Amino acid sequence: MEGLFFNVKSGYIEGIVRGYRNSLLTSQHYSNLTQCETIDDVKLQLAPAYGDFLAALPPNPSTSALAGKMTDKLVAEFRYLMAQATGSTAKFLQYLTYGYMIDNIALLITGTLHERDTRELLERCHPLGWFETLPVLCVATNIEELYNSVLIETPLAGYFKGSLSHQDLDELNIEIVRNTLYKNYLEDFHNFVNTHPDLKGTPTQEVMSDILQFEADRRAINITLNSFGTELSKQERRKLYPEFGKLYPEGSLMLSRADDIESVALAVSISADYKAFFDAVGLTQGGGGIGGGSDGKSLEDLFYQKEMETSKLVFTRQFTPAVVYAWMRLKEQEIRNVTWIAECIAQNQKERIGNFISVF
Amino acid sequence: MSGAVGREAVFPTRQSLGLMKGKLKGAEIGHSLLKRKSEALTKPEITRRIDEAKQKMGRVMQIAAFSLAEVSYAVGGDIGYQIQESAKQARFRVRAKQENVSGVLLPHFESYTEDGINDFGLTGLGKGGMQVQRCRETYARAVETLVELASLQTAFVILDEVIKVVNRRVCMEYLLISSSEHVIIPRTENTIKYINSELDELDREEFYRLKKVSNKKQRDVAAADAEILAARQKEAAEKEAAAAKGEPVEEEKEAPEEEAPEEEAPDVLGEQEDADVIF
Amino acid sequence: MSAAAVAYKDRQFLAVIGDEDSVTGLLLAGVGHVSDGADAQRNFLVVDSKTETSAIEKAFVNFTQERKDIAIVLINQHVAERIRHSVDSYSDAFPAILEIPSKDHPYDPEKDSVLKRVRRLFGE
Repeated sequence: MEGLFFNVKSGYIEGIVRGYRNSLLTSQHYSNLTQCETIDDVKLQLAPAYGDFLAALPPNPSTSALAGKMTDKLVAEFRYLMAQATGSTAKFLQYLTYGYMIDNIALLITGTLHERDTRELLERCHPLGWFETLPVLCVATNIEELYNSVLIETPLAGYFKGSLSHQDLDELNIEIVRNTLYKNYLEDFHNFVNTHPDLKGTPTQEVMSDILQFEADRRAINITLNSFGTELSKQERRKLYPEFGKLYPEGSLMLSRADDIESVALAVSISADYKAFFDAVGLTQGGGGIGGGSDGKSLEDLFYQKEMETSKLVFTRQFTPAVVYAWMRLKEQEIRNVTWIAECIAQNQKERIGNFISVF
Repeated sequence: MSGAVGREAVFPTRQSLGLMKGKLKGAEIGHSLLKRKSEALTKPEITRRIDEAKQKMGRVMQIAAFSLAEVSYAVGGDIGYQIQESAKQARFRVRAKQENVSGVLLPHFESYTEDGINDFGLTGLGKGGMQVQRCRETYARAVETLVELASLQTAFVILDEVIKVVNRRVCMEYLLISSSEHVIIPRTENTIKYINSELDELDREEFYRLKKVSNKKQRDVAAADAEILAARQKEAAEKEAAAAKGEPVEEEKEAPEEEAPEEEAPDVLGEQEDADVIF
Repeated sequence: MSAAAVAYKDRQFLAVIGDEDSVTGLLLAGVGHVSDGADAQRNFLVVDSKTETSAIEKAFVNFTQERKDIAIVLINQHVAERIRHSVDSYSDAFPAILEIPSKDHPYDPEKDSVLKRVRRLFGE
């Protein structure tokens, strides 16, 4: 029954996304890519998947230009989906863009704080985080004006209200602002997929809850690990943890008290998945670096790997816009992979070229 | 050896030969010393070190650039702008010092870090912070290499000035080198050759005289021998009758002693040949 | 010499003129410094294809002649190419100019102004 109703509104979108998914690069493609000698070869190998988007690139383009063009394709495809979506699916897709909006707003806040011409920053903004009123924010010349226009003009107003004042924007490190916003965003998104009448009780709720919980835990762990040795106090740190996820609340509490890697490992050991990650990179032994374990994978690599595998599994479900989310994550990872391979080729560091994540 | 440089006016005696040989040795030592000094002044050493350091810089910067690529992989975005805006206080600074290198005051940069300053501590807080941290360390090491190279390069720039100032002195020394190479040494060598040939001439005259003397002596000895032989034959004939032994033994002993001067003559000749080979 | 000694005792910063990646990396190493006061001065300049040559020139003059607290100026070689004349005719010992490679432009010793001086001096 649910399939019947879903397809009336969003069946087309799901079909399109499944088509997009089939054009993702496979390990066969990747192994061809790693054999390339120049960026031009890479371009040639990507031609079937990216076609016209790479055509405008000059011979032997820089890796950032290549990544830019690949992102353009992702954006174009996503915009097409947006244009087709209605109802709760449209709302869901909106939510996907909020993460990029947060980055864009953080960029503008940085620029305004340092009294730069924020119009120049517009082209640095991520196109997925673009919203119609974004240029309006550039009119603001000081942080208070910016704060007020953010509240009025952006969908992110809710994330500011109650947790950040305009003085905070001035005083707090931009990273804290960004992570506070992101925490609010994740909680809101989680709340949305769990309570919206169209999504409640559907595969979307099930799948997205899992994904978002993982995302929340990953951020909490990363923030904790990265805050060691910085001026970020434990109270401030605790405020940045999203208030859901597998680690919430006991694990989060332990994380907020952690002083070193060992105590983080202890805090996450309540979840078998994370414990396995920490074991794999050797963090529990107290030795090693944060950076990499025996097989050269860092904790972040493992998180990415896990994210990719989860995203791949989402495609086994039907009647859910969660496939859009999964496809975007996979596509982003693909862009990162290709950029990495291109970077290795351009900089003649072939020995690390296999350090990408491919799940197909 | 060109003959144009001529020779010094000396009397060709053994004593002056010894003097000249000493002079040649002195000139040669002086020449090699001057030459070494001029090579030290042109500092191919510094060139080589700058060259090497620049190569090393290429490698180090490449590794550093790669670690930045790792950051953009982990963060999944561009952190450039944020980094530029959050830079406030330099953590990595240099100290300029002076070092005295063979009389020239050369500056030397020394890098140090202001540990209290940490502009980018929270960069990548939610994602990629570890890579950012590693990238910072890699770049800090790269910049240390750059600072070393800058020291070397500044040393060169200052030395360049110093070299220009002392250029005239170097010129004088160069003249000295070439004069010793093209005038003093050949001239001394010519003189030695002259003395040797004069001494040879003297030796040959002496030899001729000795030979004459020895020829005369030989003739005298031969005449004396013939006399003695005749006397002996006579005596032998007389003594055959008496049949007495003992006397011939004495006579045989005397004979080799008489021939010794004859053998000395070729010996003198041999000595002369040897001397010819040497000079 | 003593006047010079006083002059470079205060030189403690590095300055950077380069493309975004080079500047970002060097800033991560901690060389970035923004002076206090109303006319906050940065010791780095990001150059991209849109940057005017005159702006590079201005930054170069600022770092090498106007500011007295800079010990070393790091400049991407391909950026130095754009103001080659100024770089080549610069001959002071302080601050030291160092041409560095960038990610997309490997180092070419033939273009380096200091190495060119070295070669000229020894007639190589």
